[in-house]
Amino acid sequence: MIRERATTRATRTVRSGLPGLLAAAVLTALAAALPWLGVSSYARTLAYYTAYFLTLGQAWNLMSGLTGYVSFAHGALAGIGAYAAVIALNAEWPMAGALGAALATAVLASLVIGATSLRLRGTAFTFATLFFQELALLVVRKLRFTGGPGGMVLSEILPVWLPYVMMMALAGGASIAVALLCRSRVGVRILAIKNDEVAAAAVGIDATRLKLVLFCASAGLAGLAGAAHGLFAASLYPDVLFSVDVSLVALAVPLIGGVATAAGPLAGAVVYVGIREVLQSIAPGLHVTIVGLLLLGVVMFMNEGVAVAIGRAVARGRGRGGRKDARVAAGGD
Amino acid sequence: MRVLDAEGLAKHFRGVTAVNGVDLAVAEGELLGLFGPNGAGKTTLFNLIAGAFPPDGGRVRLKGRDITRLPAFRRARLGIGRTFQVVRPFRALSVLDNVLASVPSAAAADGDDTEAALALLRHVGLAARAHALAGELTLGMLKRLEVARALAVAPCLLLLDEPLAGLTSREAGELLGFIGSLRERTSIVMVEHNVRLALPICDRAVVMDAGSVIAEGAPAEIRANPEVIRAYLGEAAE
Repeated sequence: MIRERATTRATRTVRSGLPGLLAAAVLTALAAALPWLGVSSYARTLAYYTAYFLTLGQAWNLMSGLTGYVSFAHGALAGIGAYAAVIALNAEWPMAGALGAALATAVLASLVIGATSLRLRGTAFTFATLFFQELALLVVRKLRFTGGPGGMVLSEILPVWLPYVMMMALAGGASIAVALLCRSRVGVRILAIKNDEVAAAAVGIDATRLKLVLFCASAGLAGLAGAAHGLFAASLYPDVLFSVDVSLVALAVPLIGGVATAAGPLAGAVVYVGIREVLQSIAPGLHVTIVGLLLLGVVMFMNEGVAVAIGRAVARGRGRGGRKDARVAAGGD
Repeated sequence: MRVLDAEGLAKHFRGVTAVNGVDLAVAEGELLGLFGPNGAGKTTLFNLIAGAFPPDGGRVRLKGRDITRLPAFRRARLGIGRTFQVVRPFRALSVLDNVLASVPSAAAADGDDTEAALALLRHVGLAARAHALAGELTLGMLKRLEVARALAVAPCLLLLDEPLAGLTSREAGELLGFIGSLRERTSIVMVEHNVRLALPICDRAVVMDAGSVIAEGAPAEIRANPEVIRAYLGEAAE
């Protein structure tokens, strides 16, 4: 039911058109310019984390939100990207090469997971990703060149604005890409796969290939988000980067905001960062539990997500206002 | 010219023979009726032709090309369109998007895809519901939507699996008239339980029982075939 409603919502609401895309581009540019606009570092940090979780959420949305194949590996894919970028920079690769390495390693990992599980239906894929998430942590903890359980640090000191601007560009670019994809013919075919894979094959859709391409794109985005975050954090700890919590947040953000929409993960990221920030001073470490409960509430009472619920409420409000205006105009009020 | 040529198709499920060495040929522009009692193997034969699963024996040729080992999506791209016994629309997509989701075969005309999809919807009488969700349609409309979706692949062979099931007699009559009119653009194989309604519009009919073909011929020959009467039509055909 949730899958069906999500797809319904996608076809109804994602066709936002050019004004929405322009607004997203302007918002991204504004957010990226915050370091030069005299905004406090606290506000910039909040904006950064919102963009980070938005990018991870869009990466999850791109694969799992659109196809219904639930991934628990996006935290690990971001972790792989972070390690690849930092290792490459420490080896004195140029920035473009480091980002390319992050992208390539995450895509390679997704190919390994996808090639073995995407021919099967959703559950097999979900278990494969969960297994991969745990395996990645074990491997990174064992390897010498990743620093083992102690992790590693970025030896080069980068300007603070660089990873910040990178993350904003990734968040904005990913959101615009998801919006464009959902409005395209390929987007319709992806949603058809989510609806009924057998019927999709009967109309000529190569579901396995399309899912694999989407998963690679999704993993590449997660890898780049991880790379930017690795440069931002400058210290990598495997137990933090490969914690299943990161994958859960990547999943929770679009689920809270609304899956298979471009705006949903933005709403989800704002809600998540807000909750995390409030609880950090009141009850540190409790935010994952609260987000879990929120997720449960959204699934039970608002299963199209917060963004869609707000959109509907605004539309209802406008409808009531419009009717009232009409009554006044007719002299009936 | 033969559009479909299936030879010796066989399928077994856990020791049970569903289709047992069936030969089936369909000529260009032909409407072939495929009849038989429940469990005769008609839908399994359909699935073997459409590529839903591979056969245990035999081969399938489409316009002379061997497609026996090709997956379903490749067969659709080569021009096999199909509907399902139990309708399988993309319920959460709009009616128009259901048709736009199809990947047209090489035989499809170039041009505006949306206009072509709307033309198909007009053809099946659903243009007025183009922007409604497929999940909001009645069964009769869904059956027509599935036909439009199958036609969107620009098929040279259209497989219709019990298109009249669950329809009112008025809806069934309308759909049969529409199916008859499709012969101009594609060859058709139609599985149907309602022999009385479906047989008259067929050019030729094949009757199956227990996984094998027991009769084949023109509608008049089928009606008069004693084995068919015994196995399937019974006294109702008298």
